[in-house]
Amino acid sequence: MDDVAKTPVVASAGARRLPGIRDLFPILLLAALCVIFALLSDRFLTVGNGLIVLQQSTVLLVAALAMTFVIVNGSIDLSVGSTVALSALAAAAASGSMGAFAIVPAVLVGFACGLLNGALFAYGKIPSFIVTLGTLVIYRGVVLLYTRGAPVSISDPGFLQVYASRSFGLPHSVLIALVALAVVAVVFNHTVFGREVRAVGGGERVALLSGIPVNRVKLGVFVLCGTLCGLAGLLQAARTMAATAQLAQGLELDVIAAVVVGGTPLTGGIGRIRGTVLGVMIIAILSNGMNMIGMDPYLQNIIKGAVLIAAVFLTIDRSKILIIK
Amino acid sequence: MLSARDISKSFGASRALSGVSVDFSRGEVVSLVGENGAGKSTLLKALAAVFPWDTGTVTLEGASYAPKSLAEAEARGVALVFQELNVNRSLTVAENVMLGRLRTYRRFGLIDWKRLKADAQAILDRLDSGISVLADIDSLDLGQLKIIEVARALAANPRFVFFDESTAFLNNREAHRLLAVIRNLREQDHGVAFVSHHLNEVFDISDRLVVLKDGALVGSFEAAGMSESRLHELMVGREFDGGIFPPASAPAQGEVPAELAFEDVVTRSGLGPVSLAVPAGRIVGIGGLKGSGGDAMLAAVIGAEPVLSGTMRFGGQPFRPGDPRDAWRQGIAYVPGDRTGEGLIPEFPIEENLTMAVRPRTAGGLVDRTAGRRVADEMIARLRIKTAARDAATSSLSGGNMQKVVLGKCLATRPRMLLLNNPTRGVDVGAKAEIYRLMRELTGEGMTILMVTEDLAELIGVADEIVVTRRGAISHRFAPGARPSEEEVVKWMM
Repeated sequence: MDDVAKTPVVASAGARRLPGIRDLFPILLLAALCVIFALLSDRFLTVGNGLIVLQQSTVLLVAALAMTFVIVNGSIDLSVGSTVALSALAAAAASGSMGAFAIVPAVLVGFACGLLNGALFAYGKIPSFIVTLGTLVIYRGVVLLYTRGAPVSISDPGFLQVYASRSFGLPHSVLIALVALAVVAVVFNHTVFGREVRAVGGGERVALLSGIPVNRVKLGVFVLCGTLCGLAGLLQAARTMAATAQLAQGLELDVIAAVVVGGTPLTGGIGRIRGTVLGVMIIAILSNGMNMIGMDPYLQNIIKGAVLIAAVFLTIDRSKILIIK
Repeated sequence: MLSARDISKSFGASRALSGVSVDFSRGEVVSLVGENGAGKSTLLKALAAVFPWDTGTVTLEGASYAPKSLAEAEARGVALVFQELNVNRSLTVAENVMLGRLRTYRRFGLIDWKRLKADAQAILDRLDSGISVLADIDSLDLGQLKIIEVARALAANPRFVFFDESTAFLNNREAHRLLAVIRNLREQDHGVAFVSHHLNEVFDISDRLVVLKDGALVGSFEAAGMSESRLHELMVGREFDGGIFPPASAPAQGEVPAELAFEDVVTRSGLGPVSLAVPAGRIVGIGGLKGSGGDAMLAAVIGAEPVLSGTMRFGGQPFRPGDPRDAWRQGIAYVPGDRTGEGLIPEFPIEENLTMAVRPRTAGGLVDRTAGRRVADEMIARLRIKTAARDAATSSLSGGNMQKVVLGKCLATRPRMLLLNNPTRGVDVGAKAEIYRLMRELTGEGMTILMVTEDLAELIGVADEIVVTRRGAISHRFAPGARPSEEEVVKWMM
């Protein structure tokens, strides 16, 4: 065994695992953005603004954590924005009678949305892109049907006390998001389910033939995604103190961008929670910073899109890819 | 003349070609023969610029030849027909023939269909193929589709055409048609290089035989004076004769109970009905042409293919796995035929592949890292996987070591039964011998092995009992312990 281990063949394998520019890119980009905005605006680097950024990023963070599972599984969920909106509506509608317990219907609605997505995908054998493109419209349609376009506002003091206030200077929404982050990190990195998600995304046929319950894993991923989006919906409702028909519209694009900028490829099998957190901070700081320096709001989307493409362009490992789709 | 001198090529740590020199002349069919992994396909693919060779020089009609792409090789007059079928069924016959040169048929920015069809038809006629460009592509059989690929290669008007296992997926009739096309090419003064596992085809068509072994040239011989047994000697080489195979196991004492039994099993892909008993603690080998039934039998046992009728028994109990998970849970492990597509995930660390089937968990449902590392280290040591670290990327390993990782994934679950599909395909000779020894060791410990293989030497050298399949049924079962000749086995395959 010892003499075998000394063969020079794999000397390069160790070198390969050193963190290269690819692994460091998200954190370098984040640092660069902070420096640029700090130089351009003296209000950027303040505690107050830091809290605002954190608060603004909670919904994105929870939804992006959910999306990381989906993307590492080799799938995509386009319905996250609509799921967040529907869950926010459930929270708002129930807040009057249930107060803080409105978290239950919000999360249950998200769970149900994910269950439907996952069942159609895993057992109906419909590609996740198509399933969630459909449910993106359907879930949003349910919101429109229920609200008829009018906002449902939240005034229950119990609800607002729990979800929209601060303790020790920290917004509760940020604390909730951090708890979600801790739970998700454990599930992703330390549970057998997390391993199975990676295996299905890395090679579904390999996973299946190795005895991994592939359909159950796929269903589980979408249920988890929906449930987290239910929580994100609750946070969104608490922040806006109302559910509207347009709430979280287009959120899926920011969510996918955050995951991808964080270094998780859309091909599945590979991904890091840490990367997603960085990706979320990059997207959030980019938006916040552009507002801080008073950039033309009509220009901001163009910059955001360019940053996304540039990030992928700089980090993708072209040597391993033969066909780009 | 196309002359290759001292061509060498390595893939990672494994050397595929070492210092091979070969000449190909126009108007001549040269067959490259050798065992799996001898370097036949590698040589053809390097010369056709599928990948570059490492060292050595090639001249074409006296001029230096070092193409950087398939297109450049084609332009220089060297075309390759691949083993796999590369016909796009959503295009027409004519488009498939002219795929890659559709741009030359532009007229006012649109495709000049009339000229395209006429030119494609002219090539098909030249091959005496009897295929019309107007034919519905779905009505053509595999042999005719292969001929369309030959026509595509000819569209570049090459001087040399290489056939890499082009008859592998064809039946007898289809293969004969392709051989006729190759004779036709020779008459039209093309140089042909031919690779086939079927020695009857090789003798049927060749003017000259180039024998390769373990990536090195054994020699070049006139086909006329060559006998099949002499060719075998050259391919296998004396020193390996019997050497890589472990000694035969002792004959079974009395009646051995069947660990696995098929009783009139019929599956969805057209297998059966087959009946077969696999005795406990033995290696049963299934030979046969690709797709003749062995693959389907393994798929049925591992639960990847539904059984339509009949019964399987495992350990005496009726056994009907709904999916591979069921089968693994009952103590069956599977080494698939496609290592990187079905056996392991190359991008993953070795440890994660080794533990993919056992997935050790703690009482709380978390990944049991300690147990995972222990399992990985145990398998790396037991199978002598050559790696410095268990968390190195699996893709950094050679083919033989990757195959050992797949085997390790299976053994980590401590299975009662092991299913092997071509367990040493693309594996170097040293690793082959190790895998065979391991198989014997495992059955000695009581494990039962059902192996499907296209490698006749392996079938005869390793299996305790040999079964041959033909067109979805068992055509012959040799007596336990029998060591038939390759000819005797092949007889039941055709």
